[in-house]
Amino acid sequence: MNFLGVKSTGWKSSGKQRPPALLITSAVFVAIAALLPVVYLIARSAEAGSDLLDIVLQANALPVFGRTFLLIILVTFFSLLVAIPVAWLTVKTDIPLGRALSVASVLPLVIPSFVMATTVIEMYSPKGILQGWLSVFGLSRLSEIYGLTGATLVLVLMTYPYALLMIRGTLRRMDPALEEAARAMGYGAFRTFITVTLPLIRPAIAAGSLLIALYTLSDFGGVALLRYQTFTSTIMIQYESSLDRTVAAVLSLVLVAFAVFLLLGEGFIRGSGAYHRSTVGAVRRARRIDLGRWRWIGFLVVLLPVLVGLIIPVGVLGHWLVRGLLHDQELLPLLIPARNSLYVSLVAALVTVIAALPVTILVVRFKSRLSRLIDRSTYIGFGLPGVVVALSLVFFAINVALPLYQSIWLLVFAYGVLFLPTSVGALRSSLMQVNPRIEEAAQGLGKSQLRVFFSVTIPLVMPGAFAGGAMVFLLTMKELPATLILSPIGYRTLSTSIWSSASEAFFAKTAAAALLLILVAGVPTAYLTLRGYGSSSEKLNQTLTVTSNEES
Amino acid sequence: MKAPWRGSRSENRTLNTNSPSSVASGVIHLESVECSYPGSEIPAISDFSLLVQPGEFISILGRSGAGKTTALRVIAGFEHVTSGYVRIGGQLVGSSFVHITPDQRRIGLVFQDYALFPHLSVAGNVEFGLKGYSTFEKRVRAAAVVDLVGMGGYESRFIHELSGGQQQRVAIARALAPDPIALLMDEPFSNLDKQLRTVLRRDVKNIVTEAGATTILVTHDREEALATSDRVAVMGDRSIEQIGTPEEVYLNPVSAAVAKLIGPCELISGSYRAGLVETEAGTFPARELTGDALSEPKQVLVLMRASELEINAAKGTEDRGGIIELREFEGEFSEYTIRLDSGALIRVRRRAAEGLSKGQRVVVQTRNNLPLIVFPNVPGASEI
Repeated sequence: MNFLGVKSTGWKSSGKQRPPALLITSAVFVAIAALLPVVYLIARSAEAGSDLLDIVLQANALPVFGRTFLLIILVTFFSLLVAIPVAWLTVKTDIPLGRALSVASVLPLVIPSFVMATTVIEMYSPKGILQGWLSVFGLSRLSEIYGLTGATLVLVLMTYPYALLMIRGTLRRMDPALEEAARAMGYGAFRTFITVTLPLIRPAIAAGSLLIALYTLSDFGGVALLRYQTFTSTIMIQYESSLDRTVAAVLSLVLVAFAVFLLLGEGFIRGSGAYHRSTVGAVRRARRIDLGRWRWIGFLVVLLPVLVGLIIPVGVLGHWLVRGLLHDQELLPLLIPARNSLYVSLVAALVTVIAALPVTILVVRFKSRLSRLIDRSTYIGFGLPGVVVALSLVFFAINVALPLYQSIWLLVFAYGVLFLPTSVGALRSSLMQVNPRIEEAAQGLGKSQLRVFFSVTIPLVMPGAFAGGAMVFLLTMKELPATLILSPIGYRTLSTSIWSSASEAFFAKTAAAALLLILVAGVPTAYLTLRGYGSSSEKLNQTLTVTSNEES
Repeated sequence: MKAPWRGSRSENRTLNTNSPSSVASGVIHLESVECSYPGSEIPAISDFSLLVQPGEFISILGRSGAGKTTALRVIAGFEHVTSGYVRIGGQLVGSSFVHITPDQRRIGLVFQDYALFPHLSVAGNVEFGLKGYSTFEKRVRAAAVVDLVGMGGYESRFIHELSGGQQQRVAIARALAPDPIALLMDEPFSNLDKQLRTVLRRDVKNIVTEAGATTILVTHDREEALATSDRVAVMGDRSIEQIGTPEEVYLNPVSAAVAKLIGPCELISGSYRAGLVETEAGTFPARELTGDALSEPKQVLVLMRASELEINAAKGTEDRGGIIELREFEGEFSEYTIRLDSGALIRVRRRAAEGLSKGQRVVVQTRNNLPLIVFPNVPGASEI
C-alpha cells in the first residue's frame, strides 16, 4: 500500500524543493498586474507611430526636460545635505532631546506636497508671514517664492525624510567596532566619519538619492502650486486640456524612460564593494559620541528641518484654522472626504500587502530565473509616477475593462501598482530575518509547504506586513495625481478636496482638512518610527538570527 | 518498549516500522545516492550508501564540506536525489523519479541553530507537529515529551526566554513528539560551549535511548561521534569511507584519511617488511598488510598516535629518533612533540611528568610493543 502518497515529480530531479503551484500562480498574476500599465502605455503610444517624435517636439518637451532635470539635481543635493548630518547627529551623538528630535525629523513625511506648498507660499512669499515679521525690522522685500526656489524648498522638505530613514537604518545596523577600530588607530571623529562611516553608508545614500529623484520626478501638487512646470505637470495639463490623449501617453512614456535612467544611475553610484557586516554575533550598541560644547550646535542643525518642515507648516495651518473659526469662514466639508480617504487607503494597504506576500515568499525562498523576473516586474511601480499609472489605467479601462472605469477598484489597482514595491520591501526584510530552517522544521513535522506558509511564515512576517501596510496607507492618503485622474466623479478624498480649493488659492479653507490628513497619516508613521526602538522586536529578532554554516 | 506518549493511533496511521520486512531493509536505507545542486558540476554527495537499523544511533563524521549535511537533507527530503534510492521504513521516498515531500516522511529534525518557532511557546513548538489529536491529547503528549527532555515547567515560556541548552532540549522534544521514524540531528551541539556540550551529549543520548528513537547525528567532532554512537560512519569526500562501531573504526581504520578523522595522529612514511616497519623514528612492529605476500620492502604510511608511543632518553647519538621540541603538561599526562631528523613532527603522551626536557634527544618505541597500523603509501592516501 502506498502510505506516503508517492507521486512522480516529472522535473529533472536535482537540488532544492520546488515552490507550490498556488504560490507561483498568484505571484505571476501579481507581476502581470503590475506590468499592465506600462505594457498598455507602450501599446497606446505605438498607435502614434512615426508621429511620436513630432508629438514630443510639439509639446515643447525639451525645455521641460531641462527644467525637470535641474530641479532633480538641486533637490537631491539639498536633501542629502540635510539628511546625512541629521542622521549622523541623531544616531551617533548625544544632542539634547535626541530621541524626540529623531522622531520629529522624519515627520515631514506625513505632509502632502500640495499642503507643504500652500504653507510655503503663505510663509515665505513677498506678501507672506515672514515678510510681515521682517518688515518690522525694516528689512528688504523677500524675493519671489514661485518658481525654482519654492519648488526646490518644498521638495527638499518633502524628500529628505526618505533619505534620512535609509541612512539612519544603515547607521544603526553598522557594526560599531568598525568606527572604534578607526578611532583606535588615531583617527579623529571627523576623519572617522569621512573615511569609514561615509563609505559604509554610501549604498544608503545612493538608494536615498534615487528615492528623492523619483519623488521629485513624479511630484505633481507641489510643483504645480509653485508654478514650476516639470514633466509630470506638463502631462497633467495635456491630459486635462486636450481630448486627444495620445500626447499625454507619449509624454508619459518619455517620463518612464527618464525614471528608468535614474534607476540605472543608482547602480552606478552604489559602487561594487561589499557592505556586509564583517562580524557575526549580536550588534552592540555603540556609545554615543560626546559632542561637548557642540551639542547645542548639533541640536540646532537637527531642529532646523523640523522647524521648517513640520512646525511652521502645521503652525500655518493652525493659524488659518483658528482665524477661519473666529471669522466664521467657510471650511471644507470634512466627514465624507475623510471617510473616503480612510476607506480607500485601508483597502489599498490590505490589497497591496496581500499581493506582496506570494511575490516576497517566492523571491526570497525560491530563487530562480522566474522569481527574479517577477521581482523586477513588481518594482516597476517604484519608477512610475502616479500620473503615468493613472493615465494608462484610464486608457486600459476605457478600451478593455469598461466596468472598472469610474470605480474605486481602478483607483485601488493604481495604488497597488504604485506602492507594491514598498510593501514587498518591508516584507522582504522581515522574511530575510526568518531562518529558513524554521520552515523546514515545520515541514519536517508533517505540514505541507502551503500549510507551513500559513502557520509559520506568515505569522513571523507579520511585523513586516504591518510596516508595509502602514507605509502604503500613508502614501495612499497623500497621493494626489492618480487620485485626481481615477477617482469616480463626485468621489472626494481628503487630498483631492484640499487640492481643488488650494489650486484656486483658497488656502485658508483647506486648513481643517489638511490638519486632519496630517493627523491620520501621522498615526502609521508614528507606529513605524517607534517600532524602530522597540525592545521586544529586537529580542524576537535575536532568536531568528541566521547562523548559516550550511555545507554545499 | 513503547515510549509513554506513543498512542495506538500512530501505528496504523502511516508506516509500521516494526514489521519484519523493515528490519531486514533497515529503517533508513540509502543506496548509491547522488545529489547535486543546480549550477554545480560536482555532486555534493555521490555513491552514498547507508543502512540504519531500528533503534540504532549512527553518527556521520566528516569535515565541513564533505557533504554530511547534504546527506541529512536528502534523507529528510529537502534535496532531490539525482540518482540512487532513498528508502524510509522500506518505502521508496527518493530517487530520480520519485520524491516524497519532507512533510510526508515522518522524520524528526534537530537543526544546528534549532530553528524553533519564535512566535510560539515551548508547548506550542512541541505540539506543532501533532496532528489528528484533540487539544487535550496534544497537551498530554507534549507534556510527556517536555518532561522526557527535562523541561517540565517551562511549557509556557517563549523561546527567547530560554538558554541555548534549553532551546536544544526543546528542539529535541519537538522533533520527538510526533513519534518520528527516525531522528536526524545536524551538528546539534556546535552552538554550545564545550562543557555544556559534553553534558548535553550524554543527556541527549539518554533521551533518545529512552525514547527508543533511531537517530542519525551529523558532526565534525570525533569525540562526539565516538562517545555517543552505536556505529560511526566516517565520510570521505562525498561518500562514506568506513562504517562500524566506534571501537572498530578507531582500532582498524581502513585508510589514512579515516585515521586522521577519527583521532589525532601523525603519519610518517616507512618501509614495511614482514611485520616490521622501518622509519626515521625507529623500527617498530607493524600490523600485517593484507594483500600480496610481501617478499620485498613496501612503502607505507605509519600511523603514529600519541597514546600508542613511548619515548626514552637516547643513549648514543647513533640512535634513530628525534629531539623534544615541546612539552605540554596537561595534568593527567604530558604531551611531547618530537622533531624527527627529517623535520617531521610526531607526538607522544607520557604519564610520568619527570625526566625528559626540551631539546633532549630521545628514542621512540611503541607502547607495550604493540604493532602500529600501516597503510600502503599511494599518492593522496592521506587526503580527504
